[in-house]
Amino acid sequence: MSVEERLALTKFEVYGEPHIILQKEKCKGCDFRICISSCPAGLFAIDESGEITFTYEGCLECGACRIVCPENAIKWNYPPGGFGVQYKFG
Amino acid sequence: MSEKYDVIVVGGGPAGLSTAYFLADKGYNIIVLERGSEPGSKNVFGGRIYSYPLDKYFPEWRKDAPIERWVRREVLSILCKDSIVNLEYEINRRLNGYDSFTAFLSRFLKWLALKVEEKNVVVATNVRVDEILFRDDVAYGVRIGEDKLEAEYIVIAEGANTLLLEKHGLRAKTSPRDIAVGIKEVIKLSREKINERFSLRDEEGLAQFLICPVFGAGFIYTMKEYVSIGVIYRPLFNNQVEARDVIEELRIHPHISKLLGDGIPIEYSAHIVREAGYRDLMHKPYGRSYIVVGDAAGLILNTGFTVRGVDLAIESGRLAAEAIEKTPPGEEPTLYMKLLQEKGIITTLKKFRKVSTILSDQRIYREYPEIICQILEKIYTVDELPETLNESLKKAVGGKTSIIRLILQLLNMVRSL
Repeated sequence: MSVEERLALTKFEVYGEPHIILQKEKCKGCDFRICISSCPAGLFAIDESGEITFTYEGCLECGACRIVCPENAIKWNYPPGGFGVQYKFG
Repeated sequence: MSEKYDVIVVGGGPAGLSTAYFLADKGYNIIVLERGSEPGSKNVFGGRIYSYPLDKYFPEWRKDAPIERWVRREVLSILCKDSIVNLEYEINRRLNGYDSFTAFLSRFLKWLALKVEEKNVVVATNVRVDEILFRDDVAYGVRIGEDKLEAEYIVIAEGANTLLLEKHGLRAKTSPRDIAVGIKEVIKLSREKINERFSLRDEEGLAQFLICPVFGAGFIYTMKEYVSIGVIYRPLFNNQVEARDVIEELRIHPHISKLLGDGIPIEYSAHIVREAGYRDLMHKPYGRSYIVVGDAAGLILNTGFTVRGVDLAIESGRLAAEAIEKTPPGEEPTLYMKLLQEKGIITTLKKFRKVSTILSDQRIYREYPEIICQILEKIYTVDELPETLNESLKKAVGGKTSIIRLILQLLNMVRSL
């Protein structure tokens, strides 16, 4: 089962704007890229130009990326009240 | 929300709801602010709650609390590539009256919220608190978008991800070495299959800790008709598998797939876990007119064999309520720390302070499990030239480390645990 299939199991109430903002200019000097390996939802990736990309829709709101980022490049907030991941079991 | 409240509780998790529960008994007018659409919808944990605080403070809780199974089998496993080594403890009675049960945290919190609401506490959902409001170091309210809500006391129960505390400089930025990411999958499996495969009767549950060279640490908890499996992923380790794939790695392991292969995954979840223990405890989990409870304050304990979060959250909520009651608004509830000390919570955290160092040592997961699996494989292999235990040990340890170093490391580990 891929991470996309797994994320499809979990319910999300996606808000129209991202709650996490990647300040890409800060990523330029970073070879560490620990955000990519640490995200349990696999939302960070590298595109063809070598730039880090991020999508917020499948965010599990675990909190890891903000903490592991050595460049403080991630502006992290929760989605507005009621939005985002909806755990039934937890 | 124009009404004036005595106390605002930020966060409707185990600690926040408990604080509200105990404060309500003291006659306070309380509002709990929860960002999720219902209590529990943002919470994740492994799967077990120690029941002693519920027995003490929640009369008749066993009648309606969402208990899945009472833990009767405790298993500690080393999970190698295609083998497993188990240390198992099974007990067919309550552990000296100090029991634990498996549960789903979202469901448990819905129940806890009902208990709190029965005491006329308002549990407001869909409310994200953006800021704590201070006037000359005295907390006097919270900001919710454009709105402000004021109260005489603010309880900060924001959980492991300490955004607000960090924003207001009440806690240093959380270090990546002090956290792990708990990554979990809930798998549906019939009650009969769970009972049969895990050797359990209807009400009996299993709690299993896994140590694995591939993904580090993991767990299995059996529910009535579900099984929760999880991985405690450490971002700073030299990981062979990325966080997004660790659960699948666990699920398809020959041993796990034999147990759960025909189960249906139904929810995927993840949350950071504060892993630094005593070092992470806030020196001053309070200030003028505010108090910090539960995970946010660092009140979580991994002893190496048991992980305690919900029970400490409930206890801290009770002590916070007592400290608030006895401290006039505007003053510092120093009594809170004194109570945490008196009740032995601080001492316990301190006593286990070396465990976090051990658990953040990669060798625990990478080297030792392999060595143990290899030794057992040699011991149980009968061919023309069987080996003695000593020979197997030497071979298994090989170039990784010397036997003497290994023994010293193990001794050191046992001392710390």
